[in-house]
Amino acid sequence: MTDAVAHTPKSKSELAIIITGVARDPLGLIGLVIVGAIVFSAVFAAWIVPYDPIAMNIPDRMQGPSGAHWLGTDQLGRDTFSRVIMGGQVALKVALPAIFGAMAIGLTLGMIAGYGPKWLDNFLMLLFDTIRSFPTVMFALAVVALIGPSLQTVVFVVMATSIPTYGRVARTQTLTLRNSEFILAERAMGASITRILGVHMLPNIIGVLAVLAAMDIPTVIALEAGLSFLGLGVKPPTPSWGALLKDGYALIRQTPWLVVGGGLPIVIATLGFTFLGESLRDVVDPKLRKNR
Amino acid sequence: MTEKLLEIDNLSVDYETARGDLKALRNITFDVNKREIVGIVGESGCGKSTLISAILRLIAPNTRFRNGEVRFKGEDLLTASERKIRDLRGDDISIVFQDPMQTHNPVISIGQQMVDIQHRSKASKAEKLATAAKMLGAVGIPDPEARLRQFPHEFSGGMRQRIAIAMALMSEPDLLIADEPTTALDATLEVQIIERLKDLQNDFGCAILFISHHLGVIAELCDRVVVMYAGAVVESGTVREIFHHPKHPYTRRLIECDPGHIKERARVLPTIPGEVPDLANLPTGCIFRDRCDQAFERCAEVPPLTRLSEGQNAACWLNHMEEPA
Repeated sequence: MTDAVAHTPKSKSELAIIITGVARDPLGLIGLVIVGAIVFSAVFAAWIVPYDPIAMNIPDRMQGPSGAHWLGTDQLGRDTFSRVIMGGQVALKVALPAIFGAMAIGLTLGMIAGYGPKWLDNFLMLLFDTIRSFPTVMFALAVVALIGPSLQTVVFVVMATSIPTYGRVARTQTLTLRNSEFILAERAMGASITRILGVHMLPNIIGVLAVLAAMDIPTVIALEAGLSFLGLGVKPPTPSWGALLKDGYALIRQTPWLVVGGGLPIVIATLGFTFLGESLRDVVDPKLRKNR
Repeated sequence: MTEKLLEIDNLSVDYETARGDLKALRNITFDVNKREIVGIVGESGCGKSTLISAILRLIAPNTRFRNGEVRFKGEDLLTASERKIRDLRGDDISIVFQDPMQTHNPVISIGQQMVDIQHRSKASKAEKLATAAKMLGAVGIPDPEARLRQFPHEFSGGMRQRIAIAMALMSEPDLLIADEPTTALDATLEVQIIERLKDLQNDFGCAILFISHHLGVIAELCDRVVVMYAGAVVESGTVREIFHHPKHPYTRRLIECDPGHIKERARVLPTIPGEVPDLANLPTGCIFRDRCDQAFERCAEVPPLTRLSEGQNAACWLNHMEEPA
């Protein structure tokens, strides 16, 4: 998930500084390794998987771990390890577009709310609060009922429910910054609104949002798994961590390995992104950076 | 020779508040000539900052201009278009703020910020960086090229204020407004900055409007002084006249209160008794009457700012004793 890092508005050397900064922190390094592994396995999933994740092989069903099937097989004899790897790809396909979409839209609306006229601020806040007042799962149920379960539906639901979070943070930051002396100084130097917002406020806000995004990715992965668990996420036979967990839950008396295969990646991914996010938070702020 | 650059003519500014209109500035009149350093002195809350925001029109939403004009090179800034004002800011008129710790963007390098404020120039980025380095050198920052890559928090307060001055002078403005630029700094740095400002004013030939409540700095730096009290000009004139022959009791008391003027060691420093009147609820007559030990019947009327001699104006009835009321 190097994208979250690359999203900070720094030049290339800045990016290098951030990455070395994260790597120097033990927890950050663990996070970086886990996230790197997940991204790598998702990108090269097609070459990594030992079996076709949706190919059934009934004679070998519900096996435990072995040399041939590292994490065993499910009730249809599909290789769990292959399904976990492909499930990671699905998880990132949901999390990344949803998070970046929500971040981009939330940032724009939040800055407009924070810098624009009071009535616009009130209107946008009302909109955000309205969206947030829906319980996510209920909202997802309604959307799925309307347009049917699919990857796009999950992305849409996650994006719609996350925009207010990013919007609120961006708005608060903008409100704090708009009265700061350096923004007054910029105005006194004749800077236009676009220059103030784009050149001076954006770099002050985006670091916070990037950290928020890195910490939000595990939530989204868990949400996607949750929706798939409820049967509202991606359609079978597409592998998803949530779907794996659901199958494992039903078959827990026959084979415990499906729950492990579905649950462990969620735990590891959550930890990895959280460590990375926390480490990023300390590094993106130039003031907290120890030495360059 | 004495070409007028900035003319403030009978300016009155109110703040609309829940308690009624706060009369922040009343009938302010003074000029700044080209290449001249004019000091504005007065205690906190006397309207110095309101005056600056009025000149740059960077005003709070509840500000109301009641009457008067602010003319820059003959053009009224209060009625000029927003676009016109923005073109003036940072080009013909620059400003250095009070607190150097707050005036730079904390997440952008100094070089980047100095390139950014040259957004009006068509020069290439390398040329802009060279200009930035030259300006940093001019304000006495050693090794400017390397320093350009650093962030604001890597500089000391005095350096940051010098950087702020460098940035303000980069566009070679005709008027530099310095809003208490040394208040947040310690005494040694204050002397450094003042010396630097004086040299730069010589080199760049700009006029400076220097706001301070430090009389010593004003006496050192300025050609002329405007003394403000509670939103009005009580006295204005050349530094020599004001400091040697103050014609308004407030100016006199202010000079007496300056620690630099006290000859003997005292346990308690002299102060002016009383408080600044409530600007939302102005008393009638002379604004300084309640605190003035020389007040008499005539002070029930507001004294006009009158010219007493070449280069000295004061608003006090004591200067009109011989003429009939």
